[in-house]
Amino acid sequence: MIDETTRGNALSMQATSAEPLARDTEHRSRADARHDFIFRILLRTCALLVLAALLGAALSTLWGGRDVLFKDGFKFLFSADWNPVEDQYGALAPIAGTLVTSLIALVLAVPVSFGVALFLTEIAPNWMRGPVATAIELLAGIPSIIYGMWGLFVFVPFMAGIEPWLNDTLGNIPVIGALFHGPPLGLGLLTAGIVLAVMILPFISSVMREVFQTVPARLKESSYALGSTTWEVVWDIVLPYTRSAVIGGIFLGLGRALGETMAVTFVLGNSYNITSSLLMPGTSISSSIANEFNEAVGLHRSALIALGFLLFVVTFIVLLIARLMLRQLARKEGR
Amino acid sequence: MNDLAAAAAAPLTGAATPAKIKVRDVHFYYHGYHALKGINMDIPEKQVTAIIGPSGCGKSTLLRIFNRIYAIYPKLEAKGSIELDGENILDPSYSMNRLRTKVGMVFQKPVPFPMTIFENVAYGIRHHERLSRADMEIRVEQALRSAALWDEVKDKLKQSALGLSGGQQQRLCIARGIALRPEVLLLDEPTSALDPIATGRIEQLVEELKHEYTIVIVTHNMQQAARCSDRTAFMYLGELIEFDNTEKIFTKPGKKQTEDYITGRFG
Repeated sequence: MIDETTRGNALSMQATSAEPLARDTEHRSRADARHDFIFRILLRTCALLVLAALLGAALSTLWGGRDVLFKDGFKFLFSADWNPVEDQYGALAPIAGTLVTSLIALVLAVPVSFGVALFLTEIAPNWMRGPVATAIELLAGIPSIIYGMWGLFVFVPFMAGIEPWLNDTLGNIPVIGALFHGPPLGLGLLTAGIVLAVMILPFISSVMREVFQTVPARLKESSYALGSTTWEVVWDIVLPYTRSAVIGGIFLGLGRALGETMAVTFVLGNSYNITSSLLMPGTSISSSIANEFNEAVGLHRSALIALGFLLFVVTFIVLLIARLMLRQLARKEGR
Repeated sequence: MNDLAAAAAAPLTGAATPAKIKVRDVHFYYHGYHALKGINMDIPEKQVTAIIGPSGCGKSTLLRIFNRIYAIYPKLEAKGSIELDGENILDPSYSMNRLRTKVGMVFQKPVPFPMTIFENVAYGIRHHERLSRADMEIRVEQALRSAALWDEVKDKLKQSALGLSGGQQQRLCIARGIALRPEVLLLDEPTSALDPIATGRIEQLVEELKHEYTIVIVTHNMQQAARCSDRTAFMYLGELIEFDNTEKIFTKPGKKQTEDYITGRFG
């Protein structure tokens, strides 16, 4: 007995003195492999979770809208007739309203954001940069209901005031004139587009500002050294260098504009019209849903859920276009 | 006798070649810091002038005054006068555009623009001249040939310049600079980011270019200055210590500080 235990001790002594290092590293590397494995699984789960949530939301809206989609098929997409009383539903007006208001918002917000971002990164004196940048970010933090209220109580009367003037001036230009004819209601596609522009401006401009700051000074210096003006440096160097991020920022803003509900609902007028005039009231996908969800049953409810699905599709198509644009640009650059 | 007195009073100069750039009592302030303290020098035409000195001595600062690139940053100020062909470029009325077509610059690290190789060279020309497509192609080819790059890139002009090697990129930057047909070429440590072979090619190129351009090169590398320059200026702590024939600077320097630096006692 005693003999055996001492021998055992001696053995273990030997073992600890001769191989502890080897065993330790082996143990360590096995633990490392296990940790890495768990970590990988964890990360993959996170990513898959997002994908699953997206897919789930898309599929459940598709499922919820099956009644109207089965009944009307593609007619649902291309009909402008939305009449809950007669149970007739066509999504064209909301889709058009969503696209038109978002487009107006982009057309107005992109150049202004570009100017703001450039001013802050290239031209503004140092003491101004911080405060103005913070102010812009605060603009992004204002809840959309506030924009809606401000839009309805302040901006709509203002627009009602200048719309006769728009009728008389822009309304007389041959082709685009038709866009600016209409009663001075204040409410309408143009008003909604402008409010949206104010809302997405901080997103686009803060993305632009951040990426403009990443342009190496030596790249700009090289261009200045060839006799470029500030504008040429910005247009030929800064913008191409940051192109993909800038487009990303623009589409981030567009994504927000497409889905924006409250502010738009307040100022859009909520009428299922498709007209050539931007001064006429219209509707958008999200504001239709917000307005009618309370009282919707049966086919009406199904139509609203199908609208939700269409918003997914529209957003997806917009992102796809962004991707294709980026690829096209990359090819042009010779990459 | 008069000549001797005049020579003694004259600023430090290389030799008898006519001066392209006359630097007179130039001071430079960097956010209030006195970075250059009264520089006087005459840079000879169509020769290579090297500026050497330890880090922070103001050699790059001086170079960056020659094309007023410092002016794109706020709170930097140069005083004194720098005459290029007899006109003071520090005068606010001197057109920046004109200055930068006359004085080209190549930077420490190769900075190709994110465009094709062709566009990189054509870019600067487009800002100053309207050329037909054919003329532009000729100009680009000429510039690339002068920069000893044409044979390597002639088949891939439409590819991105970012795909070139570091040495090729730097020669592209030189091509870009000479495409504007400048009179002066400023090189700010052009080989510090390159390997020895690429460095050798650039030095060889400098040797060839000096027949057409007045070249000022700032370098950390004393052998480089000795190898490829005609005149060498030694700067220390914002002052020009000595400016003479390269051979003389490296064999019989006139000042103790120069000698100490050349022999590696400091810096």
